[in-house]
Amino acid sequence: MSESEEPHVVVTSERLQSVIEALSYASVDEFDSCLALLERSGELRDEFSELETAFSIFVRELGEAKSELNRTLAQQEAINRELEAKLETIEVQQAAIRELSTPIIEVWAGVLCLPVVGIVDSQRSAEMTETLLETIVSKQARMAIVDITGIDVMDTKTADHFIKMARAVRLLGAECIISGINPGIAQTLTHIGVDLTGIRTLRSLRDALQLYLRETEQLVVHQHSQLARKLTTES
Amino acid sequence: MPSETRSFAIQGRSDVVVAGSQGRRFAVRHGFDVRRATELAIVVSELASNIVKHGVRGEIRLLWNSETGEIAVEAHDVGPPIHDMQLAMTDGYDDRGPIDPALILRRGGLGTGLGAVARLADRLEYREEEGGGKVLTAWFVAR
Repeated sequence: MSESEEPHVVVTSERLQSVIEALSYASVDEFDSCLALLERSGELRDEFSELETAFSIFVRELGEAKSELNRTLAQQEAINRELEAKLETIEVQQAAIRELSTPIIEVWAGVLCLPVVGIVDSQRSAEMTETLLETIVSKQARMAIVDITGIDVMDTKTADHFIKMARAVRLLGAECIISGINPGIAQTLTHIGVDLTGIRTLRSLRDALQLYLRETEQLVVHQHSQLARKLTTES
Repeated sequence: MPSETRSFAIQGRSDVVVAGSQGRRFAVRHGFDVRRATELAIVVSELASNIVKHGVRGEIRLLWNSETGEIAVEAHDVGPPIHDMQLAMTDGYDDRGPIDPALILRRGGLGTGLGAVARLADRLEYREEEGGGKVLTAWFVAR
């Protein structure tokens, strides 16, 4: 059988052009324009239109698969964004936990309060000392109240370190009061024979603040009377 | 056979806090009084702190054994082995000798962590694992 005897399909160059144009739409994801072109030229029923129909089925399926893929990608992206937001939250919370482990509050001008809650291990007590001493210097505090009401148990060495912290505060020229020592810790401290001379301890944070106010009041009264005396001698 | 196990990956300071407070809850849930549960939490915290301080990967595992009424606190890490355990448990010493006080301040610890673990736990066990890594176990008996 020679080549010339094979059946031929005759097609106008216009239709061929239209198919090429349709496929070029498909290549840039414009599936609707592509299908419109293919269906318009496929109105004629001949052998070439079978090819056009096959193309349009293929393009329709491709379009559907593509939009499905885009949907999945969008979902994935949303999940990723959510995950990133969660990771960010975790980081923020970790920073908060670190900060909360040594909160130092200036409860009054020149009066710092370090409320100790939770679990105190040797590392944390070392960190507390460092932060407290630094803050006393930077805030020029005259008094530091370390309130350990929230602590039931401490290791003996850690308790010992707390007392040392109070001494270090005094070395900086500020006063340190430890408030809220519970019976268990009191026993620990006396049991290990820590030297408690010069360490002021009070029952509660309230007592510590009252003491400070009383002393400041006395100081103010004293200064006033000195001033008054000075004025009387001058006149 | 342990009847409940919980584990916590330790990577940073906040993991130490989480492991400590979860340790206390775990002990209270298994019938330990608050005081003893807090002592267990301190041990968890000291062991976890050590993992963070030495900058290695590690994990704290809590194992409740209902038959013996004990909680085992296991500290697993991939760091170098402890050279001399007895020395390491001495306050102010690490596993090779006395810690320089200046270094203590810089490292942000007192050098009394393992000492505290030894004081607070009912018993201790240390073992090195094949292929690197070590495990320190501290037992607490429910009373």
